[in-house]
Amino acid sequence: MQLEIRDLTKLYDQKRGLLPTSFDVIKGELIAVVGHNGAGKSTLLKMLANWILPDSGQVLIDGIDLRNRTAVVRKVGFIPEVPNLFDFFSVEYNLKLFAALFQTPLLRVDEVLREFNMIPFRKNKVQVLSKGLKQRVNIGRALLADPPVLLFDEPTSGLDFEMTKEIYRLLIGMHDAGKTILFTSHRPEEIKSLATRIMVLHEGRLVFDGPPQKYFQSEVHENLYA
Amino acid sequence: MRNIFILAFNDLAVALKNKTIYLVLFIPLFVFISLGLLDRTDGDVNKIKIGLIQEYAYAPEITRSVKAAEKSIEVTWVKNEEEGTRLLKEHKIDGVLVKNEKTPGSLALLVLKKESLPTVAIVQSFSALQKAAEGSRPSWISDIRALYAGGVQRQTLPTWILMLVLLVGFIILPAQVAEEKEKKLLLALLQTPIREVQWLTAKLIMGMVLIIIAVAFLHLLCRFGTVNLFGYIAFIAAGSYCFSAFGIFLGFLCRNQASARTLGVVFYLPHLLPSALSDVSQKLTVVAPFLPSYQLYRPLQSMLLEDGRIADMSFDWLYLVLVGTFLFYLSYVLMKKRWLM
Repeated sequence: MQLEIRDLTKLYDQKRGLLPTSFDVIKGELIAVVGHNGAGKSTLLKMLANWILPDSGQVLIDGIDLRNRTAVVRKVGFIPEVPNLFDFFSVEYNLKLFAALFQTPLLRVDEVLREFNMIPFRKNKVQVLSKGLKQRVNIGRALLADPPVLLFDEPTSGLDFEMTKEIYRLLIGMHDAGKTILFTSHRPEEIKSLATRIMVLHEGRLVFDGPPQKYFQSEVHENLYA
Repeated sequence: MRNIFILAFNDLAVALKNKTIYLVLFIPLFVFISLGLLDRTDGDVNKIKIGLIQEYAYAPEITRSVKAAEKSIEVTWVKNEEEGTRLLKEHKIDGVLVKNEKTPGSLALLVLKKESLPTVAIVQSFSALQKAAEGSRPSWISDIRALYAGGVQRQTLPTWILMLVLLVGFIILPAQVAEEKEKKLLLALLQTPIREVQWLTAKLIMGMVLIIIAVAFLHLLCRFGTVNLFGYIAFIAAGSYCFSAFGIFLGFLCRNQASARTLGVVFYLPHLLPSALSDVSQKLTVVAPFLPSYQLYRPLQSMLLEDGRIADMSFDWLYLVLVGTFLFYLSYVLMKKRWLM
């Protein structure tokens, strides 16, 4: 198992958040975590990314406990919904900064810039880029250390149709390269042909976990999205 | 007009939400309390402490007048000029009446600094006493001797330096920390193998470097030096360490930049003013030592204006380092807990 999640819990004011949740993830899966706003999708991903500390439960990533943050960060790349980059610096500076902190060779920055078609924008300040381009830089940054697991929180939120397609193309490309990917979405129809597994969260509970075909025929989909 | 009202109402709501509006209440309240501390004129608060030398025969009018004015002048009899100088340096008295070598039979006033409020107060008081006792005869004090040289400009230097230190500590650093939290940049950095303590140390170094550059630049511009350079640098380092750690801690208490700025000002004024105004208010001199800023201000004042040595101020130095370390630790705890992140 690449990810082992046991009774992971986080409650805000005893109401919202994530109720005790357990599941496993096999290497190479492309999992869509779906649910309405406030279902606990982002909370789940943020806990796996060490952004939020869980109230209880255990997470093992490639056998490493999530609490061992400095080791786990090499295993997990997290791409938040809103790109969190140093806006007033260039694309290249942002990538070089994180490459330096990861102690990754700076050549890797050029590789990432090429991979994400960012060469023409390398000297541009992040603040002048479109949201789609910023998201690409964000994804590139997460890939600097070449982590085996990638977590995307609403990767297409606020993007136009073309950019959404571009992000999905990137997701498929990374999946084909052997990455394990979890991404959140509140638009299940969009990920019909994308995910290999769908997990549905509703009011903090995991109410469905299975293949897409099964999900779209299930009562859960009917009740939540019909 | 309706839209203007709606927008103005919205702006007020934003100011309330980001706590900026608290400054509107806090600053008048702070000024009110400070003025209350400064304006006390009764009792012992503004008493002049003058040293008289036992072995010197003062004119009977002088001793009589001084005794009659015991409500406003406190006399300390000292054995000789050396003892008077020592008490003066220890800030136990404001001045000593000594023989004036230039004009036999007249007196000279020995003070720490010529351009200071205690000196003006002594001269005014003795002038009034002499007028009441002898009318328009020549003044009892015909000369003023200062232990330390330096004009008014130099005397304000410790206040400016304290201002620079507190500006970085309470205004720049909390806003920067809060910005990194608000924009999730800190969380992005924590997605790398850096340790929390490394991030905190880097911020601390940044704050200290900013303060040291600002202070050095001020010295270069004003061409002010100090006799005990090593001690002075040690205090600037300790002060910058303490207040940089303070600033980082304040940044961790806030969710966004606006709150951090407000909180910064709330801490900035009470740390700057009592220390800087303690020279003109004995009441504030009593209150100010409770603030960490005073533990920096007093040694700076002593080293820049009175040739003080670090050996005499080791407690203040240690205090700054300990307060800084404690606040650094609190920031570490908050960071570990992902406080308001």
